[in-house]
Amino acid sequence: MHDEAFQLAAQWYDGQNAVRHEGEAVWDGGDSLRLAAPTSRMEVPLSDLAWGEERGGQKVYQRTSEPDFRLILPAELPAGLAARLPAKATYGAWVDNLGLGKATAIFAAVSVAAVALFMTAPDWLGPRVPVSWERKLGDAMIGDFGGRLCSTPAGDAAMAKLLDSVDPAKEQVRAGVANIGMVNAVAVPGGRVLLFDGLVQQAETPEELAGVLGHEVGHVRERHVMTALLRQFGLSILLSGANSGVGDTIFGLASMGYSRDAEREADEFSRARMAESDISPLGAAEFFERLGGDEEESEGSNITGWIASHPGPGERARAYRAAAKGKSFKPVLTDKEFQAIKSMCREDPDVEEFEFF
Amino acid sequence: MEQGHIEADSAFGFDGNWQDFAKIALPNLLLTIVTLGIYRFWATTRERKYLWSHSRFVDERLEWTGTGKELFIGFALVLGLFVLPVFLLNLVAQSLIARGYEVAGAILGILPLLLLFYLTGLARFRALRYRLSRTRWRGIRGGSNDPGFKYGLSYMWKTFVGYLPAGLLIPWSMTSLWNERMGKMSFGPHHFESSADSGNVFGRFLLFYLSPFVFFIGAIVAGATGAFAGYGLGGESGAAMGGVAMIVALVLFFYIGLGLIAVAFYAKFYREVVGSTSWGDLRFNFEASTMDWVKLLIGDALLVVLTLGIGFIFLSYRHWKFFMTHMEAGGEILLDDLTQSTTATAKHGEGLLDAFDIGAI
Ligand SMILES: [Zn+2]
Repeated sequence: MHDEAFQLAAQWYDGQNAVRHEGEAVWDGGDSLRLAAPTSRMEVPLSDLAWGEERGGQKVYQRTSEPDFRLILPAELPAGLAARLPAKATYGAWVDNLGLGKATAIFAAVSVAAVALFMTAPDWLGPRVPVSWERKLGDAMIGDFGGRLCSTPAGDAAMAKLLDSVDPAKEQVRAGVANIGMVNAVAVPGGRVLLFDGLVQQAETPEELAGVLGHEVGHVRERHVMTALLRQFGLSILLSGANSGVGDTIFGLASMGYSRDAEREADEFSRARMAESDISPLGAAEFFERLGGDEEESEGSNITGWIASHPGPGERARAYRAAAKGKSFKPVLTDKEFQAIKSMCREDPDVEEFEFF
Repeated sequence: MEQGHIEADSAFGFDGNWQDFAKIALPNLLLTIVTLGIYRFWATTRERKYLWSHSRFVDERLEWTGTGKELFIGFALVLGLFVLPVFLLNLVAQSLIARGYEVAGAILGILPLLLLFYLTGLARFRALRYRLSRTRWRGIRGGSNDPGFKYGLSYMWKTFVGYLPAGLLIPWSMTSLWNERMGKMSFGPHHFESSADSGNVFGRFLLFYLSPFVFFIGAIVAGATGAFAGYGLGGESGAAMGGVAMIVALVLFFYIGLGLIAVAFYAKFYREVVGSTSWGDLRFNFEASTMDWVKLLIGDALLVVLTLGIGFIFLSYRHWKFFMTHMEAGGEILLDDLTQSTTATAKHGEGLLDAFDIGAI
């Protein structure tokens, strides 16, 4: 026998049955352990052993070639043998290699970076999504809006004229009046802007409509819609679609949070286009004042939707008023054209009614 | 030939302690937080390794061989194969509604709910199968050759039928599903068998139906005495105050009362189903009384509240200890007869649904 030979008490299971073999493990300093018991005898290469766990004050090893084989050795092993056996694993390989403190710091840093990236992604990704993609996506999501868009020849012509005044670009957004009684207007995915009939009926001058339309066109042009869509997408991935019920449809999506900055940008866009087309911003100012610019309480009226998604009507009204100072304007639509928009939904024979569930 | 005769109160044992468990659970919590929850799978594995290795069956400790990686892969698969499609299905449903196809949209919106219903049953089955296949005892393991797809369907129709006649068949659906699930499982060479009888738990279940009457009578008595007591204190306003106090007390009484009935039912249910389960010539028993469960749950609540929430990391420890200390087994096993399980095991995460690893027992 070699000088360095060690004998250890050992137990093992061969992984084929539940019989416990109790005997000893002999190590002669070589590359294998010799297991000997009255019931079993075998030679196990050290390189075949893998760390199992600490169990009941003993060390448990497994065999790579025989996954259910278990060798149970005492906790105190001769130093020479211990060095040849696989090391104990605690947290998992990465953490064990780094140490708990270092690993925690690295994980935390990576997590913070990932969260920051995820939170800001809509802001820098949104404007970079090609307009044609957004249009296709919007068409897939909304289509023709279920036939709820109002259309009469005279009304369509008036809407086109109104749109020309606030969206001079060559490829215009698609603007329409939706047969929905709420006082609201939305920019929906796909470069489409909708004035709800409720808002159209409330408007007292075509300038009011121009202001609102310009604002929504601003949301499209500044890519706020895509940004909001991406944010919503990210949120629902986070919530794993937990509450994306059938009830809250596209409307919730579109009117859902633009930031205050985005609203300001859309207002600025609207005022700039109106200034270019010599349209009075006073209509828009009056519209906001009527919505609750001078009073905080809106007494539960049906205009809360607009206020909720577009904060600070008082401040906005003042901004529109300021833009009107010392200028003269020409009317954006004739009275007849304005009336054509107002009667669009009433006179369209095949428009669908909108109903909530 | 080695033969073990098992005394009824010594087959299962647990010798862990919460201080040692804390040394595992607290770093787990830290790592889980800084990895935004991703470490959770490795944390679960480390906890199980501790709990299993401090649990004894007959004369040998259990061993947990599951890995964090396979749980993670299972989770990622579920996310990719079910959650994302369900999410997309919802988007399609919404766009259908926006286009005016309300009915089609609503039907498409219900589809994910049905799928979820099916997956819940499937997940219960797969979780039990996964746990058995990752448990080693004397070098052998358990498992099932049944993938559980049929059980998922059974779960759907039995649960549905259980609720139909005013819920009266719920005990039947629960015991019958237990029998079906356990019957498909095995450990080593022996199948589990279960013949739980819903008749034995039906009496407890009827307490749920009795409760409204008890509460109604309680309400009348309490309302009257409360108002009188208040009246005695300070006339009419006192009576009103007494009435309000009684309503608060009654709501509490209602929730606690309903909770107690539920606990009483589950205590009986587990005694029945575990007591009807056997493995080879061994019969199992679960001896936790309603009072034991109440103590466990009140302890849980106090632990979480008094530690401002941190205590929740000890809940898995408490529940496992509760389970192991109340589990008993009687009968004989022939250790020489116990050979390795021949059930199939997947190398990674055992299929899809181990990520739904929800309470298996
Ligand atoms: Zn806006």
